[in-house]
Amino acid sequence: MRKSNQSRGFFLALLTIFAFSVASAPESSAQAPRPGEKGASRQELRLPISDFSLTDQLGRPFHFQSLKGRVILLSFVYTSCPDVCPLITANALSAQRALRAGEKPFVFFLTVTTDPEVDTPAVLRAYASRFGVDFSNWALLTGEIPALLPVWKAFGVKVKWKARGLVEHTPLTAIVDRQGILRVVYIGSSPAPDLILRDIRALLSNSPPAGRPKT
Amino acid sequence: MICAVWVVFLAACSRGEQTKALYAQRCVSCHGALGRGDGPIAALLPAAVPDFRLTVEQKNVVEIRKAIVAGKGMMPAFGPALSQVEIQDMVRAVRLLSREGRRAEWWEKFEPIVYAHCSLPWEYVLGYGPPDGDAKK
Repeated sequence: MRKSNQSRGFFLALLTIFAFSVASAPESSAQAPRPGEKGASRQELRLPISDFSLTDQLGRPFHFQSLKGRVILLSFVYTSCPDVCPLITANALSAQRALRAGEKPFVFFLTVTTDPEVDTPAVLRAYASRFGVDFSNWALLTGEIPALLPVWKAFGVKVKWKARGLVEHTPLTAIVDRQGILRVVYIGSSPAPDLILRDIRALLSNSPPAGRPKT
Repeated sequence: MICAVWVVFLAACSRGEQTKALYAQRCVSCHGALGRGDGPIAALLPAAVPDFRLTVEQKNVVEIRKAIVAGKGMMPAFGPALSQVEIQDMVRAVRLLSREGRRAEWWEKFEPIVYAHCSLPWEYVLGYGPPDGDAKK
């Protein structure tokens, strides 16, 4: 009898563990990369992004509104990141290099820091130069915390400071369409460049051209 | 005398732990636990991560520090984020890993004592002055 009670208890414990794992499954599968996405989940949405002003890699003021009419690939990284950020930047760079000459004036790349304490304009400039970024359609942005907070919030990026030059943040890359509406979000270390290009091209062809944007 | 030796030994131990933590936080993901270029994200990078036994081993302290401070290719620049002492700890960590598998020279064995005793890098101690671009701190 006692043995039967023990085995029943064991069975109940197993059942509880199984129930918990099933309950948590939808959340984990939402974050899991899809095949071909090389370590990043992809989500489509429609979210208007308000204008913001930050400082670019040359120390000049940069207004998000000035990019209206272009498709924007925006990523959140910090320069002393020892894990996912170099992958995110490398993938955005591959997409920049794969753009055709006719597409280039209509696509812009933005990198927004998650560590403004370390990432001054000069540090951002050196970071991009090491990667071999073409600055003609790429800007790296920093600013004071009060200026950056609403930008992080608008894109759903959580930032947690762990030590100087060591920040935990949502590894997010986003695509904003020509009307300034957030359309695609990749969460993960490594959104595949061909997938990024496919989404950029889809937005370039779907949205009406607003004339050649100012360079 | 015994106290002084004990203090230096304790300082060396404490620095050793800090160095391990620093290496684990900032380097392991690409360079791997033993500096062989086999960290968890190394395979995802578009460029190969070098094995310290083939690269760091061939470089002097100034060159190693320059790579850590200013970065190299996709490798982050740790100069703006870390203190001089932390940079020096990183130099020491990668030099120790680069010696894996070979017998250290007699003078190399004194490095931990020098590092623990005075927080100055080798080239300062030997009078070579600060490396280029590293004089701001």
